[in-house]
Amino acid sequence: MAALQHLVNLIAGPEDIGRSRWFWAAFAAVCALLFVNPLWLTEFEATNGAYYLLNVPIALGLGLLWGYCGILSFGQVAYFGIAGYIYGIVAGNMVGDATGPIIGSLCGLAVCGLVATIFGYFVFYGRVQNWIVPILTLVLTLLLETFLGQTAGYQWRVGSVQLGGYNGMTGIPAFQLGSYVVMGYGFYYYVLIVVIATYLGLRLLVNSRHGKVMLAIREDAIRTELLGYDIRARQLVVFVLAAVLAGISGLFYVQWGNYITPSQVGLVQASLPVVWVAVGGRESLLAVLLSTCALNWLNYTLSSEGYQYALIIIGALLVAVMLFFPSGIVVTLARDLPRHLRTLRGQRKGEVQ
Amino acid sequence: MDSFATGVSIIYQFATNGAFLLLSALGLIVILGMMNIINLAHGELMMMGAYTASIAWHRGVPFWLCAILAFLVVGLFGAALERTIVRRFYGRELGALVVTWGISLILSQGALMVFGPFLPAIPIPGGSVGLGQYSFSVYWLTVIALSFGLIAALWSLYNRTTFGLQARAAMQNAAMARALGVNTERIYMLTFSLGAGLAGFSGALFAPTVSIAPFMGQQFVAPAFITVVVGGATNVITGALGSSVLLSLVKTPIGFVFGAFVGTVALLLAALIIIRLMPDGISAVIQRQVDRRNRFA
Repeated sequence: MAALQHLVNLIAGPEDIGRSRWFWAAFAAVCALLFVNPLWLTEFEATNGAYYLLNVPIALGLGLLWGYCGILSFGQVAYFGIAGYIYGIVAGNMVGDATGPIIGSLCGLAVCGLVATIFGYFVFYGRVQNWIVPILTLVLTLLLETFLGQTAGYQWRVGSVQLGGYNGMTGIPAFQLGSYVVMGYGFYYYVLIVVIATYLGLRLLVNSRHGKVMLAIREDAIRTELLGYDIRARQLVVFVLAAVLAGISGLFYVQWGNYITPSQVGLVQASLPVVWVAVGGRESLLAVLLSTCALNWLNYTLSSEGYQYALIIIGALLVAVMLFFPSGIVVTLARDLPRHLRTLRGQRKGEVQ
Repeated sequence: MDSFATGVSIIYQFATNGAFLLLSALGLIVILGMMNIINLAHGELMMMGAYTASIAWHRGVPFWLCAILAFLVVGLFGAALERTIVRRFYGRELGALVVTWGISLILSQGALMVFGPFLPAIPIPGGSVGLGQYSFSVYWLTVIALSFGLIAALWSLYNRTTFGLQARAAMQNAAMARALGVNTERIYMLTFSLGAGLAGFSGALFAPTVSIAPFMGQQFVAPAFITVVVGGATNVITGALGSSVLLSLVKTPIGFVFGAFVGTVALLLAALIIIRLMPDGISAVIQRQVDRRNRFA
């Protein structure tokens, strides 16, 4: 019981916005609403709902990396793509075997972790300067896209699965638990549960001892190191964790649409997680969660209206947010709104609390 | 004679790759070295240079004038960009990275909407010269010579002019430079404008060799950034020169045997290994050597 109490205290710790009783009541209400949603949504709408949610893990991973640890990565979609493709290859070769999707998912995440570990080793153990990490992650993404783009033709076949070049990989099996194929409402619940668990888990992490060290590295890396922490290893661990989270989104994506193309790891896609995190506010997991859902919904609506403007709007949004809300829209609102409200109420009562 | 021609051909291959890397990265490395800002819109500025060149060339302007025009147009655009947006991000490296990325999205998609999916190509000027059984493109020979010329010009700009002296002062210690009456704001604007102009110039030079399209900048992004990362920001000119020579030594043989894509992958791997060995880039290593020699001299 004491352990449980400790856990609850950690989750509600100081390193995210939304700590009041009111917040947790609202959070519980929203979760409950999301869980009963399928009662009135059609199966198609529920699948769309899952689409708005499925990018949350990659965004939370980037928020953790950039906002809480001070490491910016432009290459999170590389891990998204790696997980998706590996899942497609493994599960696609095990069609008919009920354990295929689970083994495929695990393989996808393991390869993500492995690539991130190798890449991170060179970057963090080389103690490179701050700006080099985003550049190299971007280069990795571009190379991955180029590589996947030229995999058209029969020589690029792994077992019975075609990589497919720019046409992408099609017919990727859905997720499956035993004999239950996770689709429709089931897929919605599967994504929802993982997303909520990821959010609460990361809140736990940033308020734990490890989280404090992470924040210390962001604030002053040299001082943290002089206090006796191995910052290289800490940064590497966070980097790998963020990569695995990006991989989870990649798995969701291929299990949702049953296909993936190289443009999923292209420059445009690479910019999206950065936009979601910057617009919400990188120093708050909750802000990232909210802005990711909202912007995915916006993007989905915009692209059905006319895709050509979508990129310009996204670019302009990014520039505007960086100019006018450097710490993010949601975070700025959460910080300033209560103060404004208090001032307003104070004026009305003729006193300022 | 034959082995001589082979030797020249091999040197030509290395020099072409070196000049490509150097020109791709030059504008980027000028801005990074002097202002500590990574300009992620670099590829799109090159695209703008190529667009300027293509539009002017098809109006009958001679090619070399087109390249100079590209330098001026993109340089002016760079100055405007610096005044309105970039200057708010001095001292915030990651913020500058993100905002310039937003600019690059707007520029490439904007070009697509205004000019359509491609512009008419420019034929490669000049013919070829033969030596033994090999023939060399006059255009690329000129570009190689030009890139050496540009490095020399940059060197004298930074070491022989008042602007260069003030720019180096602002880079070493901006507060002190300001206290001594240097207008650092102006220096930063001119530097960013110069870097943008160089990107536009390189874009115009590469315009005859690639297809001119809104997203053409992307193909230069990876080699340019790898060159910059390997070169480091300690000394602009030694960094650019050292890293493009070194990377050309990696890329040329591997690209020759395994193809262009594997050559670029080899660049990334080389960059990872090099930053593991010298995290601040080649320029820092060279600078240390020079400093040591000067101390003992």
